[in-house]
Parts: sequence; C-alpha cells; structure tokens
Amino acid sequence: MKKILQGNEAIGLGAIKAGLKFYSGYPITPSSEIMHYLANQDIEFVQTEDELAAVNMAIGASLGGMKSMTSTSGPGFSLMQESIGFAHKIEVPLVIVNVQRVGPSTGMPTMPSQGDISQARYGSHGDYFPIVFYPNSVEECFKYTIEAFNASEESLSPIILLSDAFLSHLYETVDIESINFKIKQRHLKPLGDEKRHFTGLLSKGGIPQTRNSDLYKKWIQKMKEKIEKTSKNYEFFEYIENKDSDTLLIAFGITSRIISPLKENYSIFRPIRLFPILEEKLKEVAEKHKKIVVIEMNEGQYKNEIERVLERKINLIKQTGGSLSLRQIKRELDDI
Amino acid sequence: MTYKDYKRPGVEPIWCLGCGLHVVFTQLSNLFDELEMEPIVLSGIGCTGRTAGYFNLDTVHGLHGRIIPLAEGVKRARKDKEVIVVSGDGDLLSIGGNHLLHTSRRDINMTVICVNNSVYGLTGGQLSPTTPKGAKTKTTPGGSEIEPIDAQKILMSNKRYFYARTTPVHVKYMKEVIKQAIEWDGFAFVEIISLCLETIGKTMGLKKPSKMYNWLEENFRIVENKQVLDDFELGVVKNG
Ligand SMILES: Cc1ncc(C[n+]2csc(CCOP(=O)(O)OP(=O)(O)O)c2C)c(N)n1
Repeated sequence: MKKILQGNEAIGLGAIKAGLKFYSGYPITPSSEIMHYLANQDIEFVQTEDELAAVNMAIGASLGGMKSMTSTSGPGFSLMQESIGFAHKIEVPLVIVNVQRVGPSTGMPTMPSQGDISQARYGSHGDYFPIVFYPNSVEECFKYTIEAFNASEESLSPIILLSDAFLSHLYETVDIESINFKIKQRHLKPLGDEKRHFTGLLSKGGIPQTRNSDLYKKWIQKMKEKIEKTSKNYEFFEYIENKDSDTLLIAFGITSRIISPLKENYSIFRPIRLFPILEEKLKEVAEKHKKIVVIEMNEGQYKNEIERVLERKINLIKQTGGSLSLRQIKRELDDI
Repeated sequence: MTYKDYKRPGVEPIWCLGCGLHVVFTQLSNLFDELEMEPIVLSGIGCTGRTAGYFNLDTVHGLHGRIIPLAEGVKRARKDKEVIVVSGDGDLLSIGGNHLLHTSRRDINMTVICVNNSVYGLTGGQLSPTTPKGAKTKTTPGGSEIEPIDAQKILMSNKRYFYARTTPVHVKYMKEVIKQAIEWDGFAFVEIISLCLETIGKTMGLKKPSKMYNWLEENFRIVENKQVLDDFELGVVKNG
C-alpha cells in the first residue's frame, strides 16, 4: 500500500522497523518531526534536558540491551561530539541522525545545508572511523535508517545518518511493503549480568593501560579494521554513466536530487555511504572522466575529501545559504 | 560470595593512601555482600570516577559529567537491576549539574553517591562547586569568594526526594543511609563528605588521614527527623 510520508517520519518508521526500543532527544528544527513521530510509538521515549543527556542516555539504554537512537541538527550534533568518540571507544551500537541546517551557530535554522559533512567525519577528538550514510529520498530515509541500525549492530559503533532540512521535510509516496530489508539482531549481551567494564580509558580486559603506547597502536588498528570490514557490507552508492560525457558530477542527499536532470549530459556518482569513503569505486569511475565536479551545500567539505583520495584537481560548485538552483549549477558547469 | 569478591581482580585503586574513597569502596562492597546484590555500578570522571572500574560487576566509566543520563538510559532498559552511580562533586554538581536537576525530577529509581572532597581532586585541586567560601585552592589562591552549592536544596526542589549526608568516618551510618537510598523507590542522592588529603586537606592542615578523620568526626554530627540539614549536620531528608 502506498503512503504519503515525510522524510523525518520515514526515518522514525525505519527505526521502528529496525527494532528501535529506545529514543532520547532534544527538540531542534529541522529534526523535531522524528521525535514527534516516535513519541507516538510503543517504545521507551525521553525528551531530555539537552543533547548531552540525549546521546548519553541512548548510549546507556543501548548498553542495557535496547536498540537506541537520537536525532538532532548541527548545534545539537556539536554537543554530542565528545560522546560520539566515547561510543566508538566503548563499542556501543547506536544511531545518531543529524538533519542539517545552515550554520555556524543558529545560522538559518529552517534552511537546508550540507555543512556538517566534516563534523560527521571528524567532529570528536582523537582518531576514529565513523560510518556515515546520507539518503536522498523519503523511501531511502526509511531504508537507510534500517541499514544504519544494521551497521551499528555489526560494527558496535555509533552510525551517523545525515539528512537536511529539504529532504527531511519532503513528502513523497512510498510503498513500504514493497521494500525489502534484513534486520540484524543484537548480539551484545545487555549490561547487568556479566563482569565487563566499559571505560573511555585505554584498557585491556577492563583494566586501564593508560601509558601503554603499543597497546594503543594495536587497539586503533583493530578499530580501523573493524570498521573497514563492516563497511564492505554497506557499499551504498548510485552511479549513472553517460558515455558521451567526459565530466563526472558527484553529489549526495538533496543536491543529488536537484541535479538529477543533468544525467542527460553528464555522468553522476552519488555516494550514499559518505564515510568511510568509497575509495575503490570512486577511483574506478573517476578514471573514465577528464573532469570531476562536486556539487554540495557547503564550502567544499566533501570535495576536499575526494581530492585527497583521488589525488587530482576537483572542481567545486557550492550551493550555500540554504538555496539550491539547478539553473545556477548549469551555468557554472558551462564555465568549467 | 564475600565482600572481597566484589573487587575486580588485576587492578589496584589509584587513590592516595588514607583517602576516604577506600572506605567508601570497601563499605559499598560490604553492603552489596550483605544485601546479596549485584548492581550495575557507574562512574563519571575523576578520582571518585574510578570507583566503578574496581567492582567485579558490569560497570561503566562514562564521560565527565554525563554519567547520570547514561545511568538513566541503563535503568530504563534494565528496570529489573539496581543502578548505582558513584562520582565526584565536580562531576555531578558542576559539569553534570543540569542532569542531576532533571534525572532527579524524573524521579528515576536509582542511587547516586556523590563523594564530595571539596575540590577537583584528579586534576590537582582546583575550585569545585563545593569548595567552602574562603578556602584556598589552585585556582583561588586568595581564597574562594563564592558560597558553595548545596546539593540538598537541589534535591529538595523536587516534589519527591531522598537526600542523605554522611562521612566515611561515620562508617555504620554511611552504610545505613546508602542502604536506605538503595531501598528508596525513586531517585536517591547520598553525599559523602571526605576532604581530599593532598590538596585542600594540605592547605587546611589535614593532610594526615588521621587528622582529616578526626576533623570530620569532631565537626559533623548525626541528626534525626530534621526537615532540612544545616551545615555540618549528617542525616536523611526525604519526601515521598
Ligand atoms: C570534558 C572534560 N573536561 C575536563 C576534564 C578534566 N577533569 C578530569 S576529572 C576533573 C574534575 C574531577 O573532580 P571531581 O568530580 O570533584 O572528582 P574528584 O577527582 O575530586 O574525585 C576534571 C575537570 C575531563 N576529563 N573532561
């Protein structure tokens, strides 16, 4: 049966289908509809005093055995950063949704942006390797929320699901029953009956080893390999090749929707898993093109990543301040 | 099981010799043993924050200031388990103060034990929200000019509350009020006053453990049936 759903509602519904049992969050535009939706579901639900509480409570509930999620926008996502590193360190599954709006600071609270790409990758302190998804339709909001839960269970890490004010507030018809998905069950034993110690300190078997550099090196390597291995099961992207074009456009989220008519004249690569970067796939498609243009709603955050991976000059078309214009994008493409 | 079985093997506390935290840890182990319970113990960051990791139970050592919401999440997922937080005054009343306000207001059934050593111990003795007015610390070389926070009044701002104050010298009483806190059906807060020997203890001339313990014994007294505890009074105030 087809249903009209909003992007944020689809995220909430996807979470429920994935087995969500606990949600904690603090209201913020343009993410609030996720919590409104979940407030009406049969789960443990808490509107917390702030985002620090929201993310830590979700961590606690997840340790306690419940699939957990929190959602926010840029300012709240910044408040969660210390805890994201902690969740990586203690290896707890969790889904964190960031519906992006224009920053920095309160910026343009109702307007879409893709300004938190770097924050999603590098926002916490120290080294860590997050898995980040970014859908581009209401149906995909549903689907990739489920995949985010699966990836979190498999990697025992917090997964970042990005959206933006545009996508999250989009209404589209979705045939939920026709979507196929698998659900990963919990295998981490709930906190309470074992003798484990979950600590942010570098430790071995629950015992702190805070001056052991060799142990740290082994540990960080293991973390990296764990994420790389999990990521192999989540190679999400879309690639539309245009044999007549020597130019490859790269876009994701709402931007990829806006430029979709350009497939008549260009090849388009759309990463759905933004991080870890789909390096091999990117290299493979990049080779077929003379020019590469990243189109994104920021000052070049993902373009810099692509440039680093491909080690060649990448063009940028930026769409900032909350506005998206296909006409302007076309004009800039003509100049490139 | 004996109280000794509650200690995680292979790890020794980082605490200074004679620190009140040793007493708190031992007496908690005794109490768990007596009550035949295996709670989930959680701590934030600080000297006190190391407590959780010394229990041979499922334990969590969270972020500085964020252990109360984490523990609330655990409790909501494991309503069948006792959840006990042990952390410092800086952790619970300064950086984590907002969470104390709200988890206590939500009246989550858990016990929070705050070991109040009057300073930030782990980081070397800076001003904490509980530092007495006039006290010299690393960051108040001329003496603190502000009144300390009163945790009791924070708890009392709720309709239902349980607040107890004790010291590690009043061993039997400490155990008794922690037991009451665990049995309390709702959010219970126990403040254990125990000066940091190396920092504020030193400046107050109480660096020797015996001196600090004598000072606690001489200055604090147990009172009963009071609505509100005055400074230097130990007791339980509750409503529910
Ligand atoms: C976000 C953050 N800020 C600062 C610190 C540094 N820090 C570690 S412990 C601590 C204070 C601890 O004081 P208290 O909670 O009173 O515990 P005590 O060591 O006295 O037992 C501070 C400021 C930290 N770990 N994390």
